[in-house]
Amino acid sequence: MSTTLTAAPPTGLLDLYGEMVLIRRFEEAAERQYKAARIGGYCHLSSGQEAATVGTVAAMQPDDLLVTGYRCHGFALARGVSPEAVMAELFGRRDGCAHGRGGSMHLLDVSRGYYGGWGIVGGQLPIATGMALSLVRRGAPQAVLCELGDGAVNMGAWHESLNLAAVWNLPVVFLVINNQYGMGTSVERASAEPDLFKRAGAYRMTGERVDGDDLEAVIESAGRLLAAAREERKPAVLEAITYRHRGHSVADAGLAYRTREEIEERKLADPIERTKALLRERGVGDEQLVAADAEAEAAVERSIAFAESDPAPDVDRLAAGMYAPGSGGQFERMMPGSPLGERELVFSGGLGE
Amino acid sequence: MTAATEAKADPSVTGPATAGTELMTYREALRLAMRQEMQRDPSVFVMGEEVGVFDGSYKVTAGLLDEFGPDRVRDTPISEEGFVGAGVGAAMLGERPIVEIMTLNFLLVAMDQVVNHAAKIGAMFGGEVRCPLVIRTPNGAGNQLTAQHSQSFDAWFAGTPGLKVVSPASPADAKGLLKAAIRDDDPVLVIENLPIYKEKGEVDVDPELVTPIGLAAVAREGSDLTLVTHSFATVRALKVADQLEAEKGVSVEVVDLRSLRPLDVETVAASVAKTNRALCIEEGWPTYGVTAELAARIQLACFDDLDAPVERLGMAEVPLPYAKELELAAMPTEERIAAAILRTLDLAP
Amino acid sequence: MPRLSDSMEEGTILTWLKQVGEEVAVGDELVEIETDKANMAYEADVAGTLTEILAQEGETLEIGAPIAVVGDANGAQAPRAPAAEDAPPSAAADLKAPIGDLKSAAPEGAAASEAGERIKASPVARRLAKEHGIDLATLTGSGPGGRIVKKDVKAAGKDATVPAATAPQAAGLPPSTQQVEGGRPAATADATGRTPSAATETAKGETQVEGLSKLQEVIARRMAESKATAPHFYLEATVDMSAAVAGRARLKAATPEGEVVPSFNDMVVKACALALKEFPRANGAYRDGRFELYSRVNVGVAVAAQDALVVPTVFDADKKGLSQIAQDARAVAAKVRDGSITPPELSGGTFTVSNLGMFGIRNFGAVINPPQAAILAVGAIEERPVARDGSLAIAQLMDVTLACDHRILYGADAAEFLARIRALLEEPLSLAL
Repeated sequence: MSTTLTAAPPTGLLDLYGEMVLIRRFEEAAERQYKAARIGGYCHLSSGQEAATVGTVAAMQPDDLLVTGYRCHGFALARGVSPEAVMAELFGRRDGCAHGRGGSMHLLDVSRGYYGGWGIVGGQLPIATGMALSLVRRGAPQAVLCELGDGAVNMGAWHESLNLAAVWNLPVVFLVINNQYGMGTSVERASAEPDLFKRAGAYRMTGERVDGDDLEAVIESAGRLLAAAREERKPAVLEAITYRHRGHSVADAGLAYRTREEIEERKLADPIERTKALLRERGVGDEQLVAADAEAEAAVERSIAFAESDPAPDVDRLAAGMYAPGSGGQFERMMPGSPLGERELVFSGGLGE
Repeated sequence: MTAATEAKADPSVTGPATAGTELMTYREALRLAMRQEMQRDPSVFVMGEEVGVFDGSYKVTAGLLDEFGPDRVRDTPISEEGFVGAGVGAAMLGERPIVEIMTLNFLLVAMDQVVNHAAKIGAMFGGEVRCPLVIRTPNGAGNQLTAQHSQSFDAWFAGTPGLKVVSPASPADAKGLLKAAIRDDDPVLVIENLPIYKEKGEVDVDPELVTPIGLAAVAREGSDLTLVTHSFATVRALKVADQLEAEKGVSVEVVDLRSLRPLDVETVAASVAKTNRALCIEEGWPTYGVTAELAARIQLACFDDLDAPVERLGMAEVPLPYAKELELAAMPTEERIAAAILRTLDLAP
Repeated sequence: MPRLSDSMEEGTILTWLKQVGEEVAVGDELVEIETDKANMAYEADVAGTLTEILAQEGETLEIGAPIAVVGDANGAQAPRAPAAEDAPPSAAADLKAPIGDLKSAAPEGAAASEAGERIKASPVARRLAKEHGIDLATLTGSGPGGRIVKKDVKAAGKDATVPAATAPQAAGLPPSTQQVEGGRPAATADATGRTPSAATETAKGETQVEGLSKLQEVIARRMAESKATAPHFYLEATVDMSAAVAGRARLKAATPEGEVVPSFNDMVVKACALALKEFPRANGAYRDGRFELYSRVNVGVAVAAQDALVVPTVFDADKKGLSQIAQDARAVAAKVRDGSITPPELSGGTFTVSNLGMFGIRNFGAVINPPQAAILAVGAIEERPVARDGSLAIAQLMDVTLACDHRILYGADAAEFLARIRALLEEPLSLAL
């Protein structure tokens, strides 16, 4: 659900508010399901970052491409992936958006131009850069929005990707979601240049900072930078300042490196409340807000019901997806002398399907 | 057809020169493959350090920039992680990038993109998106390039599910396998070799002739011992085999793997069933290497056919030193191969 | 108990942050829990009143176990967070299925493992030797370390005059000696000592080829090894069992119906056991250039099994009474016949008794059960004329032949040992000791 950015009519903003609430309710539900051991592995929640998430995605064109790190539930939902597909993926079920094979960190939806969901900090940057390269090669009027966290800016991949984007004039906007902490380490402790947007200057690239909790400001900045990328092939860095209410992941209480006071204080500046206030200013009535809240709750409930009833992936297809369809024949001659189980689990486990 | 005759029937390996073949070097064969594929498919493009203006650090891409222009032959900054990842991203959108890495040693800095990204895309995203990327790079040692520039990490990649790894030993297979890799919809690592670039051989120039991935070839028939080799070790082994036949009357069969993942164990096993003895040779370090995998599979597939334990030979397990004498002592040279053959046949003094 | 991290399997209640009866709002910290990684506060995800605490401070529970009840003050429960009962199944259990049965085969392997040295031969040499019926023990290996390799087997196959495996003839071997193989007929062999491998019409008519069971293979190998490696010599004695026969008859009369009466073989076993205690070398083994002497006396009793011969062990036969030996011997024999004998029961023997008396065999020489020092072959008890003090008498006589490994037993000591056995049997009351 993306909207054009300049004039955001109240209905548009209301829709975006609805998306923000959907994300918040979804993340709360994900946390409960995780603690009930229905969701396994790592589960990184974006509660508190809804304005930055929804605003930047709203600024995208429908055929722009999105690439993110692993704190990606909100981005997937904002980009239009159904809550059912996301929750089923978190539950590891067959109809999850990655068919139960990726989990929380590896969401995607190619039909909506969302190319994941990546688990290695900074690993998605070169990939996003390569996608932008492909857009240039085809002369396509599209851009790539590449999301990353404040912790990723110190990875070598940041440097190599930004350099490549700048020297080749690639249409990619690097969105740094600065929630002040890379896992448990504050930006000040980790980064020699903590004004992260300034690092774009090392590549003579545009770098801007925006209040990530101000929905309209986010839409404006992101829209402008994406347009420059799309039309003028100018890459950019957009640093969105925000805060995450929960820990790094569900397994992190988030208290070892932050004080309760700080968290409570930041919660007072909840972007959802800010957006609500903004909507009221614009004349949106409470019934509409309540309806949006209720719709979000219902959508999350439906997603859980769907995920619970969806079957698990077929164990007999353990190797499905690993190689392109038709590759099975290439591996037939590898079977003699293989380790125990290889034949049953892999060669006959959907290899090349 | 048995495995051995099937492999032999592949004309790209041992067929006689026909009207459509030319004598060329291994590097020329690679260049031919790239030209043909770039002419055939506009989504194929080349990226790497010095591939354009410099004509390629090992001259493999010479002339391609002039023919196809800078959009399709892209010089990259020195940033392997960055441009290998860019190749991954472009491939995910349906392009067919050929990323040249100057030598396999430099692929290490991009390991994360190769192993954690390219190799995982198909499986991790439930088959929703593919990554038809080719990475081509030479391994190998010689010429005193010293420790950091002389490694052959074939096994590290061949051991990664989700990747395909090929390693041609002849110019004909260089052309055939690089074409197959480019046309393949999965990430393929094409491992070339520094000294092999100048080896000459007959190459069928038919643009549609492709060597299948996952099929080994019996490069030389014999009856006393099976040598299992790939890349430059095949070249060395063939020379030594001819020599030993003439000098000592031993008859050595050479199985050239050509593909490391998938690995054609059937052809190897058929050969060992015939000769009852196996010696596996590689350019890299044997411990946890390609030959370790071969030995494990051979002992399992050919247990009752073995007349002796499976032997292995590779680079001595040291970071390769600079001095010529030390380097030669460490490498799997023809002398060491000959001695290993005699030892495996219980003919050593 | 909530799952607070990906690796958490159980948690310990540290401190309750709310008391029973207190109001709880969503997000309130309810309890501090110690996990495998850290201590974490668990925030309530339902609102209501804390009506019951089910897990006390210090208690450790698995994830999913109830720890408290939050409801309204009237006791109705607020909808609880979904329980963790359907936690994902352990991955380990599922992996076992496709990998297949990894249990090693051949329960009689234990009997085989006691054999002498394993012959060094390459896998293909073994296969070819088996296919052509060539005994590896007859070959010399040309490979490294004396390994028999393919060309050695091929050479043996080509040589038409190679005889069958011959046992070294020990001194004093009576001409009526046969090798014991239970009730099984000797394998058909042609003039060169090899069994023909294809069913063809020959001068001997149609040939039927039978494969060997694993047990038969083991017996064949062990007997060949025994004869090939242990230099056998044989001592014969005739035991006057008259007193034993009379004694047993009285015992039988005095024994209630249904109870086991020791057999003559049981008496032989006991006699041997007592004698073995006095002659440790006879209870020992020659191994790797050394004598091994064992503190226990475990007598094996040869029993004909399904078309084969097995030797279950009567452990500590020297310490057991005659009736106990009788019971044990019967029990293991029954187990052998119904196939329920186990490897431990077939191993650990230090001496063997083999009795063919029930077939009317008067005497015979047995093959030592390697690596034991000796084996006693027992014949039938016959009423025979005997000379005593110059006159003719009738006595119940039993011939026994002791086969000895000449590397550990010599003539005189073996003779004394055999004499002791004979003495014990001729004075059966001594068996009650």
